[in-house]
Amino acid sequence: MFEFIIQHILAHLPVWFWPAVAGAGLLLYFVAGVVAHFPVLKLYKWPVKIVGALVFVLGIFMFGGAGVTAIWQAQVDAAQAKVDAAVVASKSANDKLAQVRKQKNQVIVKRQVVIQERIVKDAAKIDATCKVAPEAIKDLNDAAANPETKK
Amino acid sequence: MKYLVPVLLLAGCSSFKAPPVTVAPPWPDVPPSMMESCPDLKTVDTNTDKLSDVLTVVTDNYTQYYLCAGKMDDWNNWYNTQKKIYEKAVK
Repeated sequence: MFEFIIQHILAHLPVWFWPAVAGAGLLLYFVAGVVAHFPVLKLYKWPVKIVGALVFVLGIFMFGGAGVTAIWQAQVDAAQAKVDAAVVASKSANDKLAQVRKQKNQVIVKRQVVIQERIVKDAAKIDATCKVAPEAIKDLNDAAANPETKK
Repeated sequence: MKYLVPVLLLAGCSSFKAPPVTVAPPWPDVPPSMMESCPDLKTVDTNTDKLSDVLTVVTDNYTQYYLCAGKMDDWNNWYNTQKKIYEKAVK
């Protein structure tokens, strides 16, 4: 949890923040050298130098960590962009598939209508010379029934 | 002393590891028409002896077959297309 919070804070700090902290530490370190020239402030030379060095070390260390976080965030963003593109492509492919199927089904149904009309037109001729035996109809119906669902 | 900065930078880099984050595309939707089951084949009225009635039912069933075969083709197309999209996204 602690690591997550640190990562979150690092991800939201500006890029220049940690180099600025390191620079401030370095500046403090050298200011300590100037302070030593003033007798009143000479006492603070080493404490200021130590604090400056620590701030510098912290700044450089955190700059390295922020770099890793930035790389990781860039990778996550790139992956998310790919996923977003995939969602759009998937929907588009589905729409195209449904559209093509609709057109193909229209062709199939249209052809059936034409055949049905021909049967109606030729019904007199077809039925004139042939009567279908009930056994033939029973066999045909049995063949049409799905044996998996038949009880 | 001159190695201090690179060493500190590398120490910082190695201390911050990327958290495990999974970014994957969601399961793709299927067009609703593909989810419909194929209807049962029609049967001929047993009280008829007309060949034209038999022909009507048989041609109806042919049509049902082609409509259902179309769904099967759609499933194949859907799978191949979505697989390509998925593989491109996670590559």
